[in-house]
Amino acid sequence: MEANGIENLTNPNQEREFIRRHHKHELVDNQCSSTLVKHINAPVHIVWSLVRRFDQPQKYKPFISRCVVKGNMEIGTVREVDVKSGLPATRSTERLELLDDNEHILSIRIVGGDHRLKNYSSIISLHPETIEGRIGTLVIESFVVDVPEGNTKDETCYFVEALIKCNLKSLADISERLAVQDTTESRV
Amino acid sequence: MAGICCGVVGETEPAAPVDSTSRASLRRRLDLLPSIKIVADSAVAPPLENCRKRQKRETVVLSTLPGNLDLDSNVRSENKKARSAVTNSNSVTEAESFFSDVPKIGTTSVCGRRRDMEDAVSIHPSFLQRNSENHHFYGVFDGHGCSHVAEKCRERLHDIVKKEVEVMASDEWTETMVKSFQKMDKEVSQRECNLVVNGATRSMKNSCRCELQSPQCDAVGSTAVVSVVTPEKIIVSNCGDSRAVLCRNGVAIPLSVDHKPDRPDELIRIQQAGGRVIYWDGARVLGVLAMSRAIGDNYLKPYVIPDPEVTVTDRTDEDECLILASDGLWDVVPNETACGVARMCLRGAGAGDDSDAAHNACSDAALLLTKLALARQSSDNVSVVVVDLRKRRNNQASS
Repeated sequence: MEANGIENLTNPNQEREFIRRHHKHELVDNQCSSTLVKHINAPVHIVWSLVRRFDQPQKYKPFISRCVVKGNMEIGTVREVDVKSGLPATRSTERLELLDDNEHILSIRIVGGDHRLKNYSSIISLHPETIEGRIGTLVIESFVVDVPEGNTKDETCYFVEALIKCNLKSLADISERLAVQDTTESRV
Repeated sequence: MAGICCGVVGETEPAAPVDSTSRASLRRRLDLLPSIKIVADSAVAPPLENCRKRQKRETVVLSTLPGNLDLDSNVRSENKKARSAVTNSNSVTEAESFFSDVPKIGTTSVCGRRRDMEDAVSIHPSFLQRNSENHHFYGVFDGHGCSHVAEKCRERLHDIVKKEVEVMASDEWTETMVKSFQKMDKEVSQRECNLVVNGATRSMKNSCRCELQSPQCDAVGSTAVVSVVTPEKIIVSNCGDSRAVLCRNGVAIPLSVDHKPDRPDELIRIQQAGGRVIYWDGARVLGVLAMSRAIGDNYLKPYVIPDPEVTVTDRTDEDECLILASDGLWDVVPNETACGVARMCLRGAGAGDDSDAAHNACSDAALLLTKLALARQSSDNVSVVVVDLRKRRNNQASS
């Protein structure tokens, strides 16, 4: 990566500060936790328009086929998620813990379902940055979860990280495509 | 789920051409099993007009796609002359030769206890003639994540195989089938990208729930177990955990080996590719997918590959039938049991040249196996194809 590129990215100190401020998880025994970072070539408002849809996670999450939310979009609202076939789950019940439209932070907790992710909690935050001179978004997602019986912490983190990486890649692909459409339309 | 058996269960067919005792006994067994809904391909055109009478007597035929094709073949055989092909998307595209050796088949494909139907079955008798021999194509595709990859395989794989076989050097079946599967995999990926680029193509039939956006499709895939049957050989190509089993003189001979992530050689291949197998409700690639090979699933490449394992088996006079099925069957029914059930059905029909009886026997076998799987609490879609491999008397001259 060119020197200019390096200078324009949020530097490691900034990332650590974002993580320290927005991604606190209280770990207890037999839990594991991890944080993932994704740089997306799309402005924050576009990425956030996808992330904040607590009622429609399937807009960017490739493993979700359907989602039903009862009630308004407020803290404590619960969604019932149908998971696509082929994965080690068919449904998940998830609670909205935090939705901050100013700071661009979403937090959810899994409270039920037929999967093995017990006491799962995640936080995803978006931060504006410049990538090679263009407006982009730094996405940070962190999680904490119980280590299921029969698996190691390393395995559990590896599995959850694999899922989150797929979600973030999909988020990037869709956001960048929307950003291109935005640019095209604004030129017409 | 409401039970619809298309007249199979509880219906007495007029002028049944088989022993009434064994037939009644078979019906009783069928009645004891839970009713199921059979998924028929609504796109199939109705049979030829001169098949109308037959239609009334063989309700089973109408409930299964290949039955219709088989019926056409029967008529052609009886007329002992070449006829032009029926015009529909699944029809035989080449004229039949005299004394057709098209095997009798039966097939069922049911949703079962899963939320959605993601299996697909592809039956193309006489899809290719080569060295004066008729080749027949049978495939079972068990989709996951959504149905469109399996459906694309059903629509396209036989044609891809045909084109590859036509340029095949003397019987290089393994190389030819590997190439075909790789082309199918590439086509599955490319199609989706085209959909994103060109909005006009969204008008293609939208039978699945994906919003047909590229990232969503990356997490969709399918198994593929395919058999090409010639007068002398059975070629099986398998990718994933569906399976093909040959019933030979009462013995079950697997013609494919399931691609499970913890199969020792698959485990090594995945690890060497930089992936990892984690036991999460069974062995899974990255803890996510319970099979190590599949068509599609781009997000898991290069750990999950579309390369098939190919077996070539010489046919013998002791061959009874070939069973292709998804893991919805094999997870709850052992090879030997499936073989025994199919054998029982075929014996009831006898090995004579009464093609109607043989056809019904194959359909009964497929249906009975499906019901058995559901009775044993299979939790997946179930798709079964049973191919009668017995040499028929009036075709001995051609074999």
